[in-house]
Amino acid sequence: MWHDKLWEHWFWLGLAAASLLWYSTITVYVSIRGALDIRDMLRRLSREE
Amino acid sequence: MPASNFSIPLDGSIVGIYLLVTMMAGVMVRKYVRRVDHFLVAGREMNLYLGIASLAATEFGIVTCMYTAEGGFTRGFAGAIPGICNAIAMFVVGWTGFCIKPLRDSGVMTIPELFQSRYGPFVRWLSGVVIVLGGLLNMGVFLRVGGQFLVISCGIETRYLEAMMTALLIFVAIYTVLGGMLSVLITDFLQFVVMSAWLIAVTALILYQVGWDGIVTNVQTKLGNGGFNPFLSDELGWEFVVSNLITNTAVVLTWQTVVARLLAAKDTATGRRVYTATAFFFICRWMLPGLWGIAAIGAVTTQTLDALAIQMGEHSGTLFAMPYYLSTIVPAGMMGILIAAMLAADMSTDSSYMLTWGSVIYNDILAPFRKKPWSERTGLLWNRFIVALIGLFLLFWGLWYRLEGNVWEYLQTTGTIYLSSMSILLVAACYWKRANDYGAVAAILIGAALPILALTLNLFVHVNVPGDDGLVRQVGWAKHYVGDAWVNIGTYLLVALAMVIGSLLKPRRGAVSKVRTAS
Repeated sequence: MWHDKLWEHWFWLGLAAASLLWYSTITVYVSIRGALDIRDMLRRLSREE
Repeated sequence: MPASNFSIPLDGSIVGIYLLVTMMAGVMVRKYVRRVDHFLVAGREMNLYLGIASLAATEFGIVTCMYTAEGGFTRGFAGAIPGICNAIAMFVVGWTGFCIKPLRDSGVMTIPELFQSRYGPFVRWLSGVVIVLGGLLNMGVFLRVGGQFLVISCGIETRYLEAMMTALLIFVAIYTVLGGMLSVLITDFLQFVVMSAWLIAVTALILYQVGWDGIVTNVQTKLGNGGFNPFLSDELGWEFVVSNLITNTAVVLTWQTVVARLLAAKDTATGRRVYTATAFFFICRWMLPGLWGIAAIGAVTTQTLDALAIQMGEHSGTLFAMPYYLSTIVPAGMMGILIAAMLAADMSTDSSYMLTWGSVIYNDILAPFRKKPWSERTGLLWNRFIVALIGLFLLFWGLWYRLEGNVWEYLQTTGTIYLSSMSILLVAACYWKRANDYGAVAAILIGAALPILALTLNLFVHVNVPGDDGLVRQVGWAKHYVGDAWVNIGTYLLVALAMVIGSLLKPRRGAVSKVRTAS
């Protein structure tokens, strides 16, 4: 049955699903917060000048 | 060259626009670079999320995608074991602060700088030499593999490979030379966003076309249970797992591009959080391209790969299965964005690697020859000159060197030239009071000599081995008789032994200084 094959290698299925989930969530979050980090970093460097 | 879905007017324009935007962003921040520490560690102003994006982008280049996909194609799911080992090591080291806490607390810009306070200036200089030697040999194949990916996936004629390599390098070198770590961080961020989005999109497309069922069937048919469990594989076995655990622990402790993020972090806590938060990424970077490689098992024939290997002048064609497969399934339009994403991945890796190895040359190899400190202006000029020289080296090494076997094993062996000794020196510097320069020098020499010997034997002494298909293939001597995993494990064991014996041989003289901290 197809669902037997699906769960037969549950470890790799879980890792593949978690990898897709990690990328799709973390990417969005890190993109927003990372942009703010860049703004702050450049602001601090300008102030040093 | 096989027909590709890459359309020059449509996909070529997408790639061109992306390159232009990246280049502009990288060049624009050069005005903030006024001191050497701005150039090398972004003035230590990097915060957590920028650190995560930058580390993830740096540690995922075309070469990463190629060797992880090759792992999937040749070893199935078991090919992702190095990624799991890497993630475990990254998380444990970040969580406990093992070695990285005293390293960041010391306020140094490179690892050899830390060694000076414990082992003296000669060990600092020698460490710089092996770090650069191992690092540049390791990075030497990046450009060639990147060019091969572009040539195959875009369906361009092989004679343009060198031109592709040169163009790729010039783009990266311009913004790295001008903006240093600041340009690297900004472009890494852009590259992380583009690359991540398309990593998900391509994986979804492949899963839609092949299905999980097809992926599992491909591994079962070609590799049997050994494709799911490395301990059941004839090729891998427990020594492969142990070798990867050791290497990846050394990588997270001393790999210059990883440590550069720790040292550029605004404080130690931020550096440690970059480690723990990025840990799972190291599984993703093996799993997702690994799935692309596994999907290629059912779609790419051995004859196609042999033909590609001959065209590319390589011994084996397994590395080209994934790009060839992508060139046939990704439609026009999407292809341009895929190539832009892969270029993004490659540029972030190349720029960061050029900068970090350059920082060691400047800070640890040239430093002992300076009678008085250079001005900031002279220091910046030297750094830019060094990065440009590294670019030239990459171009010539990439043109000349032909890969012997699996790319990951090449990277592991060249990395071991310095990873083995630097990791042992770092652990000893942080936690073993008896460690001294005798042990350090012995460890560095043994750590460099064994992998170089193995590489030389693989390059110049070949053994004829009959393959499963009846054809006789030439395999490197050390690869055949010792095995890559045992070369690796043996090197680490002997380096640790050299450190202990060397240190114990030196007579004790008073109290030994601890690693000094800047705070």
